[in-house]
Amino acid sequence: MKSLFSIVFLLLLFVRSSLAQLPAQKDTFDYYEMSLEQLLNLKAHGVPSELEELINSLILAASKRPLTARESPGIVTLITDEEIRNSGARDLIDILRLVPGMDFGVDVEGAVGLGTRGLWAHEGKILVLVDGQEMNEPLFGITPFGNHFAIDQVKKIEVIRGPGSAIYGGFAEYGVINIITKSAADLPGVSLSATVGQMENAMGRRNFNLSAGKKTENFQFSLGAFLGQGQRSDQEYKDLYGHSYPMADNSSLDPTHLNVGLAYKALSARWMMDLLQTTVRDGYDSAKAAAYPIDYTSHFAEIKYAAEIGEKKKLTVTPKFNVKSQVPWETEWDRDSITEDYSKKVQRYTGNLTASYNLTRKINFIAGAEVYWDKAMDNSNDSSYFSNGEKEVRYSNQAYFLQGLAKTNIVNFILGARYDNHSNYGSAFVPRVGFTKKFKKFHFKALYSNAFRAPTIENINLADSTGIKPELTGVLEFEAGYQLTRKSLVTANVFDITTTDPIVYFVGDSLHLDNYKNFGGGGTRGIELEYRMRDKWGYVIANYSFYTAQNKEMIGDYMVDDDPSMLLAFPKHKINLNASIKVGKYFSIGPSVSWIGERYGYTENDSVQEKLDPLLLGNIFINASNFGAKGLSVGIGCYDVLDSKYKFIQPYNGGHAPLPGPSREFLVKIVYEVKKAKKGK
Amino acid sequence: MKHLGKYILMSAVLVALMAGKAEKAYSQDMDYKAYTLFLYNFMKYVEWPSTEGDFVIGVVGDSPVKKELQELAKTKKAKGRPIVVISVANPGDALLCNMVYIPTAKSAELKPIMEKVKSKSVLIVAEREGLAKKGAGISFVVDDDDAIKFDINKSALESHSLKVASMLVKLGFIVG
Repeated sequence: MKSLFSIVFLLLLFVRSSLAQLPAQKDTFDYYEMSLEQLLNLKAHGVPSELEELINSLILAASKRPLTARESPGIVTLITDEEIRNSGARDLIDILRLVPGMDFGVDVEGAVGLGTRGLWAHEGKILVLVDGQEMNEPLFGITPFGNHFAIDQVKKIEVIRGPGSAIYGGFAEYGVINIITKSAADLPGVSLSATVGQMENAMGRRNFNLSAGKKTENFQFSLGAFLGQGQRSDQEYKDLYGHSYPMADNSSLDPTHLNVGLAYKALSARWMMDLLQTTVRDGYDSAKAAAYPIDYTSHFAEIKYAAEIGEKKKLTVTPKFNVKSQVPWETEWDRDSITEDYSKKVQRYTGNLTASYNLTRKINFIAGAEVYWDKAMDNSNDSSYFSNGEKEVRYSNQAYFLQGLAKTNIVNFILGARYDNHSNYGSAFVPRVGFTKKFKKFHFKALYSNAFRAPTIENINLADSTGIKPELTGVLEFEAGYQLTRKSLVTANVFDITTTDPIVYFVGDSLHLDNYKNFGGGGTRGIELEYRMRDKWGYVIANYSFYTAQNKEMIGDYMVDDDPSMLLAFPKHKINLNASIKVGKYFSIGPSVSWIGERYGYTENDSVQEKLDPLLLGNIFINASNFGAKGLSVGIGCYDVLDSKYKFIQPYNGGHAPLPGPSREFLVKIVYEVKKAKKGK
Repeated sequence: MKHLGKYILMSAVLVALMAGKAEKAYSQDMDYKAYTLFLYNFMKYVEWPSTEGDFVIGVVGDSPVKKELQELAKTKKAKGRPIVVISVANPGDALLCNMVYIPTAKSAELKPIMEKVKSKSVLIVAEREGLAKKGAGISFVVDDDDAIKFDINKSALESHSLKVASMLVKLGFIVG
């Protein structure tokens, strides 16, 4: 094990020393004769280093206004397509696991979800956006992870590691994952990729992606098509009662994803289809006699027009209309009564009108209103009904939001709020305030935000007689960062999260009877540290995260009995290291490592929590670009090199045993890009 | 396995320290070469009543832009006039100049300099955003993308008997 790190370490040193000696090229260009138009492209701080380009790139997700990552009013991680490509990440799990504080757990029926800063965020607490479309389904609010999303289509991912409800509403209580795919401008041409992964005992994945785009002066078109087959694991699953089965051929993850974007001047439209077909056998608690299918089907459509008003274009008014239709967790009853019949379609129609006004270059106001209508239909053939006694239920929600942003020489100040009023559970009001500033090499952020989790349709449906209401959270965050050199940056942040009246899932008299209720409290506090170094030879990103639930009111089902500072499933300490090193003209080596501290979960039906030892997940990906042919990249990788066999633990006392992840997996990835050359200089 | 976490952390810290040691910290410093190129273009697109003698640029205080302007003066002329760079130690020195550059740190000097030069043909260029609105002829703006732009106060320029070419007006933001 030590030898692996020694090799990585020595490689880093070697590349550093060999590239630092490059001679400066003789400069014969007469800068003084540059025209004024040319000068307007010059940067105030000179040609940015590779790192500066990254940390000064503009982030939209945290404020709906373009601000650099160091000044954006949120604790932000920006993941670029380059980082994704160099790491050879298999899916979003590989990518998000490297984000400070983020890790995964298992819910039920094979669904793996996200936790952040020690808190289980799977059910409607982290918003996942793909090109602005809300992936979270409105029945339970989840987004399933694992061989799901088309990561080869991703241009960048903006991860807001703190609350986002003041902008995004009730699915963004603990965070926002804003996935932006490559636009027509990013891919003028066609890109094809194929990925094959082999675990120790079974096929890991076979994925195929096609991306294409064309841009003219007024028109843009982009297409992404992703088709795949995969498996969660090839290990043996053993439930709390001692029943076991091999997950090979019992844990399929087969995605189909289509994404079409069109834009004509300020008018844009998008259509997306996302289908994840899975087979599971783990059930809610006791393993089933045979595998059964669960499908997650989603369709999205959006039309948007960004009207710039006035000669100076100070006012932008953006009307937007979205439709999404989702059928999550769909199962069919079978003759052996292995599964229940669950088929509910939910349609959400959303209208949004947002106005952004630049009072001056430094002062901006955003105001808007959003209304959505939900219609859920129970298409199952059994006798289940919604709480209204019907096979159909309808709700609506109105929201109003306001934000002011002022940039001054001393500090950037943001003040915002959002008010939601739902036809069933009433209102939620979430204000936020933030101060950020960059002073040359130093930057800081001080942020306080309220956030809420909107009860979902099934939360309302399965609530007890006291009803259900939004859970509310207050989050205080401070971040400080210092640019050590032009090529390296350190950041540190602390956070304090307090949730009141959380919506809690608990098991009723029958294990198949879900119930939801607001009770107790929750929250964590902690620290996250990150170091980034980036140069022509590659980059290194190292981070450490820590949380504690000490002195926070916590619900018993989430707590660790032996350590009140810990919560089930999520490690108190976590370290990630992600690097990419260019070797020669064609090759890059991308090692990534996650050290996951001890975790707790239920492994047997004795109500005793077990401690799972710390583990190390080491991956390596070697990529050859333009090797043999222009536009052709071939990569090989090995994931979980040490064969640590990570398991997804259930973060609550729900009767589900830890679900094995993939064993050591070998991967081959081939990408071929035919890019149309850009005209002009 | 027990000590692996520490080992990783130590490796990361070591890499960080080595990187920090090897590189001089230039980060986030202003690129005054770029600002000098703008100043040179202002000399081209602004017309002074007199075209005689040296073209004198005064820099208030101690700013790296002075060194860049001195480099410029070695090879270039302002519409045929030799360029001379001087320091403006007190507001009265501005009367010796055709152009005065006020760095951000010396923004407070704008008012006394304006009072001193009154309507004389001196182009006052301020580094800090917003000073064109307060009487400077031109002030720089750094947009969200770090690109350099500039505000022009046409009436201030006219009050100093300076004529501005339409090209400059077109590319700047008019604030007065």
